[in-house]
Amino acid sequence: MSEPRAVIDVSGLPDVAFGSKNAVWWGTLGFMLIEGSTLAICAVTYFYLRRNFDPFPPGATPPPDLPLPTLSLLALLASLAPATLTSRAAKRFDAAGVRRWLAVGLVVMTAAVVLRALEFPALNTRWKSDAYGSIAWFTLGFHLSLLVVNLAESVVIAAIFFLGRAERKHFSDAADDACYWFFVVLVWVPLYVTVYLTPRFL
Amino acid sequence: MSDETLTTPGVAPPPTETELDARLALQRTWWRDAGPLRWLREVDHKAIGLRVVFTALTFFLLAGILAALMRTQLARPEHGILGPDRYDQVFTVHGTTMMFLFAVPVMMGLGLYFVPLMVGTRNIAYPRLCAYAYFVYLIGSLFLWISLLTNTGPDVGWFAYTPLSGPEYGIGKRPDVWAQTITFTEISMMAFAVSIIVTIFKQRAPGMSLNRMPMFVWTMLVTSFMVLFAMTTIATASIFLASDRLVGTHFFNPAEGGDPLLWQHLFWYFGHPEVYIIFLPGTGMVSLLVTAFARRELFGYTALVLATIATGFLGYGVWVHHMFATGLPQLGESFFTGSSLLITIPNGLQIFCWLATLWSGKLRVRAPLLFVFGFFFILVRGGLTGVMVASVAFDLQVHDTFFIVAHLHDVLIGGAVFPLLGAILFWWPKWTGRLTSERLGRASFWLIFLGENLTFVPMYVLGLRGMPRRQYTYLAASGWGPFNLLASAGAALLALGVLVYLANLVVSTRAGAPAGDDPWDADTLDWATSSPPPAYNFLRIPVVQGRYALWSRTADAPVVTGLALDRREVLVTSTLDATPQLRYELPGPTIWPFLAALGTGVTWIFGVFTPWGIVVGLALTGPALVAWGWPRRRRATEVRA
Repeated sequence: MSEPRAVIDVSGLPDVAFGSKNAVWWGTLGFMLIEGSTLAICAVTYFYLRRNFDPFPPGATPPPDLPLPTLSLLALLASLAPATLTSRAAKRFDAAGVRRWLAVGLVVMTAAVVLRALEFPALNTRWKSDAYGSIAWFTLGFHLSLLVVNLAESVVIAAIFFLGRAERKHFSDAADDACYWFFVVLVWVPLYVTVYLTPRFL
Repeated sequence: MSDETLTTPGVAPPPTETELDARLALQRTWWRDAGPLRWLREVDHKAIGLRVVFTALTFFLLAGILAALMRTQLARPEHGILGPDRYDQVFTVHGTTMMFLFAVPVMMGLGLYFVPLMVGTRNIAYPRLCAYAYFVYLIGSLFLWISLLTNTGPDVGWFAYTPLSGPEYGIGKRPDVWAQTITFTEISMMAFAVSIIVTIFKQRAPGMSLNRMPMFVWTMLVTSFMVLFAMTTIATASIFLASDRLVGTHFFNPAEGGDPLLWQHLFWYFGHPEVYIIFLPGTGMVSLLVTAFARRELFGYTALVLATIATGFLGYGVWVHHMFATGLPQLGESFFTGSSLLITIPNGLQIFCWLATLWSGKLRVRAPLLFVFGFFFILVRGGLTGVMVASVAFDLQVHDTFFIVAHLHDVLIGGAVFPLLGAILFWWPKWTGRLTSERLGRASFWLIFLGENLTFVPMYVLGLRGMPRRQYTYLAASGWGPFNLLASAGAALLALGVLVYLANLVVSTRAGAPAGDDPWDADTLDWATSSPPPAYNFLRIPVVQGRYALWSRTADAPVVTGLALDRREVLVTSTLDATPQLRYELPGPTIWPFLAALGTGVTWIFGVFTPWGIVVGLALTGPALVAWGWPRRRRATEVRA
């Protein structure tokens, strides 16, 4: 090289990216690992404690009711549609689209959270009844806390967009939020099977 | 890694602004806050990292004082310094502090400081999260120690076995303090771990492909992943324990279908990986020191990386060897004997790679390297006694005796504290710009080394002669007196060594010889910048040309240009090859992470006394979190409809 100092000029690189090019996306992935493994520990604990009960569910405890929890699961799955559309709009830098689908998403998500809060009685046991009740309530409660955190995060992002505070990077945040939303919803599917179906069918 | 990366996206003319202008602009942009709230608003990874390191070292000294108290009590039979109740609190807080408040935080703190420097970036990913995590760690630690000083210190052992720690036997608030401290500090370690992982994956300087990363960075990467899984387990388990105690759940209550052994499984599924979480960064430091003082490239870099990763995985497959005395099925015990023996293979491989490097290098024996020699000697003894207790029959004989106390201290002091003490001497010039005294460094090494051996070798004998752990005294007729006296004398020598070591640091900070940028002629990028480094770390982000960044750097080594000088911009590169991908703006100083940490503190501490504490704490934390992320500037985007 004849120049005194060769350089890599990065001024032409973008300042916003989506997915794995984006550092925040990797952080979101890290928190998914933390929360996913917490839920995995809940599932392991559930089956570990189950060995202590014969019959299962214990004593006169009926298995959990299915209608409301299933409705709540369907509401969660339905919220994936606005999440997908929010993410797509964000990747187009379409602020109107982000606002529209975030608003729809918030309505569906809020409905799902309310259904979840009403879902505890469907377990037909209480946290202080026995160890089975403890882990069933804990699993449901911990996942509810993830839903609430995700809902709060979505509310803040929606506020940033509706109040005209959005910069380019917030489109990336909106897409990451949708990605996390997918995680929180999909991780519930095996836990739904664990908490609601296995006492009845396994 | 191809040359193509180095020249992408093309060789441009040199930058137009002068070097001085660039330096001034960067200083303005990365300006470290002034004013009374500076300490609370700081987001610089070096400041936070050092803060974590010095907080952890303070707790090391405090827990060391507790150790000295115990050794004084045990120095002779039926000594009356500590009664049984106080002794229980002292050994519990000693172990809890050493494991949770010292060993893991000090490693994460060094990672926070050095990983961004070694990978060639301007700050850690998520600086505000790290600021938050520090305060959470500090509040949790103070909670434990204030509890001890007010006679509410946990007294159930550092692993807080149920049912002793459960609602039936763990009377009062003592075990709650333990459970909350654990949840607290582990949350902050997880936040540090995520920040370190993302920094390593996405902020490496161009050219630093994964196979060119320094070994210390590799060990911090594997450690951080282990933290994510291990700390999650213990945090969840301690929440189970807290809810058994506070809201009447039955996770560990056998009368209602719970299971005390579930606690042991969850605890050790965290607890054994914890050993490697502490040990692996130590191995990273050994690799750094061996490279620098043997003045040659590491023998078997690839083997060392693979051994580190293998240890990370195998570390999760050995936890039941802590539970051999619980009457688990024999087949299960045999499996865990096998897996425990298996993990010696990668660890042994590492030792041989370092020995080969030293053997074939041009050795400079300086004080930091002496600590590496001490590491070999003591760690190997700890490792070999570990192989002994991996055998079920032997383990049942020495379970809960001083043999185990000696083994675990050899592993942790040899495997982590010795490399740490060597590395701090090695890095002190980078932090302060001053060299430490070689004479005091050597003196402290010999005192600490002899003290360690004199303390713990007699404990092996005591264990084999049947002396149980966690007993505040013993009778003269037991015959344990002389060896206990020897161990206590060793502890005094060890303490003296630590004092000389500290004196060395203090004296050299005031009067040490100026160090310059790179006093050791070392190979990693942290030595390419001034000592101490400026807030922005590097005037220009370097382009890495080989595995040993400074040794392979040519005179016309390329640098990165085009990053904004007026914003806190860092370069994001691809995960495997470190090809430039993105310019990314990091957030600046703010008070909100501190306030969010205060809210978190209220949640956990007052949650011990009333469930309303959780409600009030979350009500305080939530708004602080929103304010933390709320955009400050009103800047219309061109894409906004």
